[in-house]
Amino acid sequence: MKRWQTDLLRVRRMSWTMLLATVALCTVGIFFIYSAGYIEGNPSSAGAGKHQRQIAFAGIGLLGFLGAAALDYRRLRKLSTWVYMGGIFLLLLVAVIGTVQYGARRWLTILPGVSVQPSELMKLGAIIMLARFLSQPGIDLSDVKTVGSALAIAGVPFVLIALQPDLSTAMVFVPLTLVMMFVAGVPIRILLILGLLGLLLMPFGWFLLGDYQQERILVFLDSDRDPLNAGWSKRQSEIAVGSGGMWGKGYLRGTQNILGFLPRSVAPTDFIYSVIAEELGFVGSAAVLLLFAIVIVSGMRTALLTHDMMGRLLAVGIITTVFGHLFVNIAMTVGLMPITGLPLPLLSYGGSFTVSTLIGLGILQSVHVRRPSRPQWGAMSYG
Amino acid sequence: MTEEQPVSAWRCYSVTGSMLLVMIGLSVRLAHFHFWVPDANRQELRSHRTVVRHALVRRGAIRDRNGARNILAMDINVKDVCADPYIIHKRSAVHDVSMMLGGILEIEPSTILECLDDPSRRFAYVRRFVDERVANRVGAFGFEGIFFQEASVRRYPQDSLMCHVLGFANYAGYGGAGVELSMDRYLRGSPGEIVTEVDGLRHDRYLRRTMAVPARDGAHVELTLDQTIQYFTEEALGNAVKAHFARAGCAIVMRVQTGEILAMASYPAFNLNEFTTADPNAMLNRAIASVYEPGSTMKALVIAAAMNEGLVSDTTPIDCEDGAWSHHGRILRDHGHRYGTIPVADVLRKSSNIGAAKISLMLGPQKFYDYTRQFGLGKSLKLDLPGEEAGILHHVDRWTGISCSRIAIGQGVAVTPLQMLSIYNTIANEGRMMKPRVVRRVLGREGNVVLENKAEVLATPINPHVSHTMWELLARATEEGGTGKRARIDGMRVAGKTGTAQKPENGGYSDTNYMASFVGFVPAESPELSLIVVIDEPQPRHSGGYVAAPVFKLIAEQAIRYLHLPASPYQVVSRM
Repeated sequence: MKRWQTDLLRVRRMSWTMLLATVALCTVGIFFIYSAGYIEGNPSSAGAGKHQRQIAFAGIGLLGFLGAAALDYRRLRKLSTWVYMGGIFLLLLVAVIGTVQYGARRWLTILPGVSVQPSELMKLGAIIMLARFLSQPGIDLSDVKTVGSALAIAGVPFVLIALQPDLSTAMVFVPLTLVMMFVAGVPIRILLILGLLGLLLMPFGWFLLGDYQQERILVFLDSDRDPLNAGWSKRQSEIAVGSGGMWGKGYLRGTQNILGFLPRSVAPTDFIYSVIAEELGFVGSAAVLLLFAIVIVSGMRTALLTHDMMGRLLAVGIITTVFGHLFVNIAMTVGLMPITGLPLPLLSYGGSFTVSTLIGLGILQSVHVRRPSRPQWGAMSYG
Repeated sequence: MTEEQPVSAWRCYSVTGSMLLVMIGLSVRLAHFHFWVPDANRQELRSHRTVVRHALVRRGAIRDRNGARNILAMDINVKDVCADPYIIHKRSAVHDVSMMLGGILEIEPSTILECLDDPSRRFAYVRRFVDERVANRVGAFGFEGIFFQEASVRRYPQDSLMCHVLGFANYAGYGGAGVELSMDRYLRGSPGEIVTEVDGLRHDRYLRRTMAVPARDGAHVELTLDQTIQYFTEEALGNAVKAHFARAGCAIVMRVQTGEILAMASYPAFNLNEFTTADPNAMLNRAIASVYEPGSTMKALVIAAAMNEGLVSDTTPIDCEDGAWSHHGRILRDHGHRYGTIPVADVLRKSSNIGAAKISLMLGPQKFYDYTRQFGLGKSLKLDLPGEEAGILHHVDRWTGISCSRIAIGQGVAVTPLQMLSIYNTIANEGRMMKPRVVRRVLGREGNVVLENKAEVLATPINPHVSHTMWELLARATEEGGTGKRARIDGMRVAGKTGTAQKPENGGYSDTNYMASFVGFVPAESPELSLIVVIDEPQPRHSGGYVAAPVFKLIAEQAIRYLHLPASPYQVVSRM
């Protein structure tokens, strides 16, 4: 059998539970992107075509998912540097010829009407590079130089993305780096020291924030501050969630979003979860959380089942990224975090993010299908 | 290459565990939101999404009896210039906007600065009731944060004409005086009300309207007054008050058969368009809201009453005691005249106090009181204008020995000019007392008649026969030898009576301040119009015959010509 044939056959071993949960989330996303654009009395305008584009994104993403699952992730060992450097190159390119939207330079127009956000792909690049770096045989994880290099790998894209400016996307690199280092075995005291340093630097970070970012944090701390402007989205989102009740108002019946109280520009992206919470109620929004829990648990199971350290780190990095987005987005929706521009993986409208998330989960499946047939407790290999 | 790495496994587990814990935390928060939102919040939410809108309605117009051509009060469309101080502050344009607006609206920029002062406000009036042309000039600049509101404002095209009858409506659109007040419920219309839910952009959701009462513009009011008659009545009155250095004056013109008031003037007057700054003294409608002791004009009532009772006829001789008569220990005089025994007709023509007093005694207090009541003294005539006084007439039980004889000559009784006119109008109208009125009808916006005031008889104190005799007696009062000869009109007999009443002062009567009046009707043989003119404190000449009669003549003459009233037989005879 040729190699690609064995690869394809292996795909049958993937975690079908996770695939199902993933597809379910994508489907829910498409339906609620439609709902988020729905305007009362004018059904033809619903979604403004966004749901159709999201179907295309999900389709491309699923192809990428299957492709990545079939591909042997171990080949990434050699490719990792290229992937990472390619990502950095694209980020630099964005800084020079990127498209400005909402006051930030985040987009790279590759074809007329088609633009990508290199920062989304960079997350994968950094995960792969970190996984490769931290799984080198014989690496001394308690060495300051090792830790410093790992931080540098994440730090370069962090800075480039923060300068776009897209601070919330940049911040995603923090948990994924720390969790990957933790799972790789970096001594806890080093991680604690890093955490302390981070806390100490935080007050200085305040002055690096833009006015609108400071305002969002102030609004978060004082919910009645400026309820008509900076506080509007937060308040309306909380109202949306709160008005859902047990079973919700019903699909396409959420007044918060249909009547435009949730700003229409962000309802299908950052606030998709409030739309779901309003229309499907507690049951629906908890079900979505459960689907995410299935993805996370099965992803972490893969990390445990594999005997390959790089595979494990890839799985942990990808799951942490998904979790990080999920947490920040939902916490924002329910008023536990300041308003940030982080979308909800698989559900929010957005091409680059949907595709890169699905490819990431595909890589995770690639690790899963290549797990040992009879996993041994504690067995671990370094490549 | 494989080796033991147990550390990594527990680290994986702890990461998974932490993530799941966090997700449980999120779902607790979710549950909290879904199930524990206080009802107060929901209530607040609903109220934020429900708005009540009132449509702009226009107040009806007030017109004279000739209909739509002569508009006396109307609403015109204007705009309120409003500002959003928050936006203007955000654009740092407070100073610029104030300067520019100040220039266009012709107000002090500092006033505008003041109203834009608070950047947290989202609404402020810069200037209300701005002409549409000016508003368009402001709009042409396109200031951010400056916008307009539709409004309407009350205008009185004739300024002060008929001001006391019309009254005024305030800026909120409520009538404040005159017809504007008495007919307010017709004029105002209903603002309509739409209660609806709105969406995030504050647009109406038509399907979620809970109430939609359409706005209805107010109805038009048509007066019985005639703009032209009113105009020359005011002219004649004003000129007389000025010429005789008087304090004030008033005049009324009434249609005999219907009680419709054709003109009602009071001097001084005020500009209705500037009613907020008007002198309160000028705002008093003296024709109905001031009372005075009428003096001699009362004599017609006494004589008519006595004739109606059959006690006297026009030829019955009355002993006028050579000008001085002691009654109940008080001496009554005839202003220096010494009349002997004269017929009743001459008592009226010469205006003998003693004669009138004696006739009242023939009636006796109770009868006399009954007649005065029937003629409407001491009570309001229920004119359709606010502020009508009832006058002062003590009940007969409280009369003293001289009350009867004094009231007969118009002392110890106070009337409004309208009440006095009504007495003569009743005589002119063959004994039928008509309800006076200023409103002819109310017309809806579609031309439908909402209300029509019909002629209404209030009482019939004397019979037609007596009234015909009175016409003749009163006509003689304006002929040669009568006190009212200055009221004569060429080619027409005028029936009327002068009144020269000393004003009560410090418990007695003033020697210098008089109320000069003339009241009567034309033509004497077939009365069509009744008029009264009252001049307050003319100086130095003060007799009703000298001061008020010429004004009566001036107004009556013009009114007759204007109304094309039929020429009297007298005129035809005199020309032959």
